[in-house]
Amino acid sequence: MSRAVNRRAFLAGSAAATGAVVGGAALAAPAAAHTPSSTGSTGPSGRKPYLPDIEVRDAARRDPTEATLAEAAVLMSRRKLTSTTLVEAYLDRIETYDSTYQAYAEVTGASALAAARKADRSGGRGGVLSGIPLCVKDNYYTRGVPTRCNSFIFEDFVPDHDATAVARLTAAGGIVLGKGQMGPLATTRATTPNGTVTTVNAWTPENPATDPGGSSTGPACAVAGRLASSSIGTQTGGSIVQPSNRQNLTGLKPTMGRVSAHGVIPLSYTRDHPGPLARDAMDAALMLAVMAGPDPNDPRTLGLPAVPDLVRAATPVVSRGRVRLRRATRIGVPADFLGSAAEVRGAFLGKLDSISGVTLVDITYPADWSLLTGSFNDARLSERTEPFRYWLREDPAKFGVSLLSWLQGLMLSGDEWITAQRAKNHLLREVLDGVMARCDVLLQTGPVPFDILGLPEIAFPVGFTSGIPAGVIIGGQPYEEDRLLEVAAAYQAVTDWHTRRPADPVSAPAGRTARRTAAVRPRITAEEAAAQSA
Amino acid sequence: MSQPQPPTQEQLDAYIRTRLALAGVDLDLLPAQPDPVTGVPTRDQALRSLRSFVTGGPAAIAGWAPPVTGTPAAAYAQQAAPPLLYPSITEAWTGKADAR
Repeated sequence: MSRAVNRRAFLAGSAAATGAVVGGAALAAPAAAHTPSSTGSTGPSGRKPYLPDIEVRDAARRDPTEATLAEAAVLMSRRKLTSTTLVEAYLDRIETYDSTYQAYAEVTGASALAAARKADRSGGRGGVLSGIPLCVKDNYYTRGVPTRCNSFIFEDFVPDHDATAVARLTAAGGIVLGKGQMGPLATTRATTPNGTVTTVNAWTPENPATDPGGSSTGPACAVAGRLASSSIGTQTGGSIVQPSNRQNLTGLKPTMGRVSAHGVIPLSYTRDHPGPLARDAMDAALMLAVMAGPDPNDPRTLGLPAVPDLVRAATPVVSRGRVRLRRATRIGVPADFLGSAAEVRGAFLGKLDSISGVTLVDITYPADWSLLTGSFNDARLSERTEPFRYWLREDPAKFGVSLLSWLQGLMLSGDEWITAQRAKNHLLREVLDGVMARCDVLLQTGPVPFDILGLPEIAFPVGFTSGIPAGVIIGGQPYEEDRLLEVAAAYQAVTDWHTRRPADPVSAPAGRTARRTAAVRPRITAEEAAAQSA
Repeated sequence: MSQPQPPTQEQLDAYIRTRLALAGVDLDLLPAQPDPVTGVPTRDQALRSLRSFVTGGPAAIAGWAPPVTGTPAAAYAQQAAPPLLYPSITEAWTGKADAR
């Protein structure tokens, strides 16, 4: 073992001891845990996030809510846009359209405007996200702002500190515009705790039956519907990449440990990944660059490889007038990749293959793939039950429509859970030494395998099917989010799917208070909630 | 190896109720009739769902062992694939992520 590795192991061990104390604090964290590291990726070898040198599209100059995060930041750095103007523009859209979208559980307009004015006074010296309004999924602790996780359990919960990821975003100048609607306790598409659908797919705002993806539904809808510049969600079973695919966004689920989960209400400890849902690869890179890095309050973040230069990775490379990959990359294509959305995916592969540096490689899954990524997915359920035992005993009705999977978690025995952890080891070797020995990144046909393993995934748009966005997911090697961004950035440099925005709702009743008069929303049953749960 | 008889529905219900009770969860706190206000499942819904679950998922997991060569396989399987809570993090903490 190298000296560097020894130091990592020491750091991990030291942090584990600290984390044990913090972890026992439940909702009322001790004072020592209230100060999350806000340094993000400015650790020993990480590079501080920086503003990219990009061209701003005319559409973004005309309408700041059209701008990507990076475009808005560049416009502000050039004094062509103020944060106050940007925040007001988003608040206007929220006031007009959120009765239809229902993307927000809580809008913090007054504090956002105050933060915007402060950012404008600072002249952009507040950090790389200075003055940028963000939607935060409602399972992230936000100091002084209700954090309900869309559950009766947390209906009165107002945290006394920010989640580390939120603290880092605001320390970098980001402004919390509000809390995003989500599936109850991060399980399904966004509904009320009793299962009534809330957030719609921004591409079909009049039709709540269209799947908007879950459980980070509100953050996705907020960015797609131009109610925020960017957003953060969490992923335990596809909850960043799926709403991103459904709503034409670029979502980046980082490797487990890349972003601290301290201050995120848990769903499954070993699989809860915080990450961004953004408008393109560069925006996802900027968000992750700020969020990532070691956090003493989360030992899983310690002793890991340094955060790479994600902004550089998301900057397309043009050579002799042609886009090429920054590094030659073998992209694995599973045999069943064209099993759905064949036309869109076929066109995507053709375009991808035309980019210099791309090599497509046919991949076959190991024989036990469907077992280890299918039935073994149930093993996550014990993890959600354990931190919620108090409420299961006190009043199981507080789980509302989501109760069943929490009860299921009680039905797995300890030995079965250990078997599943052994299977993770076996599956990891099958993936890294087998499947990915022949490729650098791997196209996914579902998010669960890489959620089980904690491997990174990026989702991005590749077209439309019957007017609904279609996207793909690419998975990568541990801590190689940069490679994923390189591929997505190159593809986005030769396509424009990611720049398309949905039309505004046509039947929006005026004002957020009109929500009560909006069209009746369908409900999901308890059985459906259990079957669809992340 | 002898195979035990599959449990009856009554046995499953008793097992589920007992397990819940031992964990401190009172199934009778759930409504007998659907409650649209909370959306929470009824007692019958919960029992039906849990019966289906306990006869499916756990058995599939418990039936797996790491594939090994050599006999007796059960002995060699004990030596294969020790549990990993965080596979990706383990790759980093063992230096393998850097080596790529």
